[in-house]
Amino acid sequence: MVFIFGVNFHEQKLVKKALETFYALGPQTSDRILAKHFIHPRMKMGALPPKTLTALTAELSTMTIESDARRLLQDNIKRLRDMGTYRGRRHAMGLPARGQRTRNQIETAKSLNQVERRG
Amino acid sequence: MQPTRCLLKRSVWKGPHIVPLPIVRPELGKKVAPIRTQARSATILPNFVGLKFQVHNGKVYHDVTITEEMVGHKLGEFSPSRKPFIYNKK
Repeated sequence: MVFIFGVNFHEQKLVKKALETFYALGPQTSDRILAKHFIHPRMKMGALPPKTLTALTAELSTMTIESDARRLLQDNIKRLRDMGTYRGRRHAMGLPARGQRTRNQIETAKSLNQVERRG
Repeated sequence: MQPTRCLLKRSVWKGPHIVPLPIVRPELGKKVAPIRTQARSATILPNFVGLKFQVHNGKVYHDVTITEEMVGHKLGEFSPSRKPFIYNKK
């Protein structure tokens, strides 16, 4: 088991995939982090030296990921709502905000478009 | 507000969508009537802050007071043009 940023990962997990498990850290950002720390794209977690592990943790702690990113997202929606824009209104109603049809197929908007958005 | 927000929407060389609006600078202690407009697509510029607009939604004019965070949005975003559907069972 290997620790990065307070999370436990299996030794056989790819480093790239492990980084992508954090919220708001996608394929592009994880590629860049790997390149910055000279890690091979197919390196597994078990093969990482401890020095790189601490460097990765330090790097991640400076980025806006996980709860910071979630809060940023919610703040943006809340700002729209408080201003009284059409988009904020649609978020409060749980409906699509970009002019999509609402006759059917709005499950994604129903689950995601909320003022206290979770994902 | 994100600084790149306006840039993402529209190409830079065009600049923001500026509509000539009859903006009167309020003199101290005088009340100025709100600016009645149908230009929903007009971008809110930094010099609109604090002014009052009446934005048309196709039927009525909605009162909008411009605050600092509204800069970069359009006037029409603050004047809803659709009535939400509510089911009345008799």
